[in-house]
Amino acid sequence: MNQRTWMRGAAVTVVLLLPANARAQHAHTPSADIGVDWGVHAIGLLTHATPALAGRDLTEAYLTQPNIFLHLNALENRVSFTGTLNLEGLTLERGELNAGTWGEGYIDRRHPHTYLHEAVLSAGQNLAGTGLSVSAGRGFAPFGTDDPMVRPFVKFPANHHLAQVLERLVLIGAVRRGPVLFEAGVFNGSEPLGPHDLGDLDRFADSWAARLTATPVAGLELQVSHARVRSPEVPTGGGLDQAKWSLSARYEDEAVYALVEWARTGELRASKELYALPSVLGEAAYRYGLWRLAVRAERTRRTEDERTHSNFRSPWPHTDGHVFGFTDWQIYSASVGRTLPTGGLRTMPFIEVSHQRPEPHTRPTLFDPEELYGSSRLWSLNLGIRIGAGLSHARMGRYGVAAH
Amino acid sequence: MPLRIPAALLLLSLVTTACDQQPGEPGDRTPPNDPVELPVIGLGAVNDRFTSEIAVLDNTGYTGTWSRRNNIPGNAVKIWDLEPAVPVLLDSILVEGAGTVGDLQISDDRSLLVVANEYDPNGAITIFSLADPRSPQPIIRFSTPEIARGVHTVKLARQAGRLYAFLSINPTKQAAAHLVIVDITSPGQPQQIFAAAMGNPYVHDVFVRDGLLFTALWHDGLTVWDIGGGGRGGSPSAPVALGNVKTVNGHVHNVYWYHNQRTGEKRYLFIGEEQVANPSAGDIHVVDAADFTKMKEVAVYHRPRYGTHNFAVDESRGILYAAYYEAGVRALDITGNLHSCGAIERTADGRCDLLLMHREVGYALNDRLVKIWGVALNDSHLFASDMQFGIWKIDNAALRQNR
Repeated sequence: MNQRTWMRGAAVTVVLLLPANARAQHAHTPSADIGVDWGVHAIGLLTHATPALAGRDLTEAYLTQPNIFLHLNALENRVSFTGTLNLEGLTLERGELNAGTWGEGYIDRRHPHTYLHEAVLSAGQNLAGTGLSVSAGRGFAPFGTDDPMVRPFVKFPANHHLAQVLERLVLIGAVRRGPVLFEAGVFNGSEPLGPHDLGDLDRFADSWAARLTATPVAGLELQVSHARVRSPEVPTGGGLDQAKWSLSARYEDEAVYALVEWARTGELRASKELYALPSVLGEAAYRYGLWRLAVRAERTRRTEDERTHSNFRSPWPHTDGHVFGFTDWQIYSASVGRTLPTGGLRTMPFIEVSHQRPEPHTRPTLFDPEELYGSSRLWSLNLGIRIGAGLSHARMGRYGVAAH
Repeated sequence: MPLRIPAALLLLSLVTTACDQQPGEPGDRTPPNDPVELPVIGLGAVNDRFTSEIAVLDNTGYTGTWSRRNNIPGNAVKIWDLEPAVPVLLDSILVEGAGTVGDLQISDDRSLLVVANEYDPNGAITIFSLADPRSPQPIIRFSTPEIARGVHTVKLARQAGRLYAFLSINPTKQAAAHLVIVDITSPGQPQQIFAAAMGNPYVHDVFVRDGLLFTALWHDGLTVWDIGGGGRGGSPSAPVALGNVKTVNGHVHNVYWYHNQRTGEKRYLFIGEEQVANPSAGDIHVVDAADFTKMKEVAVYHRPRYGTHNFAVDESRGILYAAYYEAGVRALDITGNLHSCGAIERTADGRCDLLLMHREVGYALNDRLVKIWGVALNDSHLFASDMQFGIWKIDNAALRQNR
């Protein structure tokens, strides 16, 4: 971490924590019947990757996932606003070491989110036992599973761009009746071009997604979703389109959390699939008193792109039909953390270990893990502390009646 | 009677062929034979970087480099002695400021080597003097705000006595892909004379001949421009569009306008379609350009499971050599009539299929784990640049004899 990034991280920490401890709670304005909840969250992190590149180890420190959450509701929750301001553009400019991840011009480093991660206004009504809502703004398309930021591991799974569609201009309708929830929405297909990106109005509604969720028993959630995304990697259009599928089963109670998901993204040209990127992931966490144990296993295929001035970056937007290989990543992770009693703050120091095994899916390939990394067996050791106050964003990516 | 159907198809084919072929059309085609395997003579190995495009001047070769390998950027131009059986690396010139030097070209007067530099914001062209072809000397590194976005390909051509560089500029977060034209008649003082957004989403490459500019515009197809030879008042600083053609599948990557040296015919454009995955995909599309306002795709060369990249053409013999990534090099007979064929030589959508027409006359590096980017010719041999391994020297005598 260079000096500028350190200073930014320190400033962000101060901004997040000082007012959070003092004020971040629930406020209520009786005259207008408006509920206001807000909170902050960030992770201080030390990552050691071995090998990271060409047989060399890298050790880096970050302030990662610095978020300010805001939730407003009014008219007995018929109108609500969900906002998340993410400050990684200040603290993760060069990305966070995260072997196997890719997207938005970063490879093996997770890219910073956009500052405006979520800003979604929802209006809902209950009619004869059926909940209806319309949501609009910037946020997640109704596709796939929760954002990894609200799941147990600090390192993102390699399937992030296969299993979530985020930071888009969205218009979503949702219907909930009994244990069944259906959401459908349109959005701009283009992925963000950087932290300042606010979405592309010209491309609004060129893509769509729909998600069906059922809760057959308390705590268990089954989900299937499909998305058609127009030219996500070429903002002016004309790039490959995507047909995405996601299936998942999620369970959560006071002690146990578990998720099993299958995701598949087909890259299309004129509706013809050129290649597909499948992923299978399972993760679980168990709370025992103040302790939390978590494990994750993942197998995800990714494309290998041209790399530019850094081995961790690719041209963004792409300059060509860019794929020159496919790699299957098997990633196994374990984490243990303990909540500390620290007054108004939620703090959890943790240790997280990941083991990555990249293997070319097809040969010949220009991407040889042994050649690039110096080994086909990679490790990542992480020491960190989660710090939060006020509102906690338990689920991320659902709005209106889908968020209830 | 099982034989009746093939017999009927054969009869139908003969009738259709007879109907399709027009009397008086160029008939200089060599009778079809089985394609011959072109022997590999030697490999000049490159292991430190990925190899990209190749240019050849007599017995001196120049190869670019691409992306990153071994944590080393593709910022080197390799100079080769092509005389020995195994090409010998003479020098490796690092191009200041470049992240990738994927494309390069030699001027028609053999005096300059121009190298494309990527990436944004360090895009540029670097002009070298070839006063000593074995020791190129940098003259200037030239950039402008448009060029700084990254030069993907560069082509050189002379028009009305002046030498121009035609640059295909990458799209960026802020700007669409552009075509930029630079006057390098005085190579120490380049002047940008034209810049315009074009391509969907890329303008990937161009071809210039006889005062006509052909731009490969990906999903926008191919556009022909008058830059002085089209009779519409165009010039390099103010090109005038003459016509456009969309080829099947889009992904228009590169183009060659073939002039048949025996007949003088200038009818066909050969368009490369690039769909890079692993393995690659993409066909060679043949466009009838007898009238630039009414261009139409008439034929295709499709190699199942593989895709094409850059071309080199031996016009005197009518042979197009295509780099074909994992399928090595494929050599096609492009003489004669390519828009007429029998029913059994057509694709389902009615285009003539050059493979079924036995137009493939040779191949090389077919059974090796190669990734061929470009091909180039000198008077005696064929050379292929291989992203993975370096530069192959190939004996193409079988295709030079008796043609």
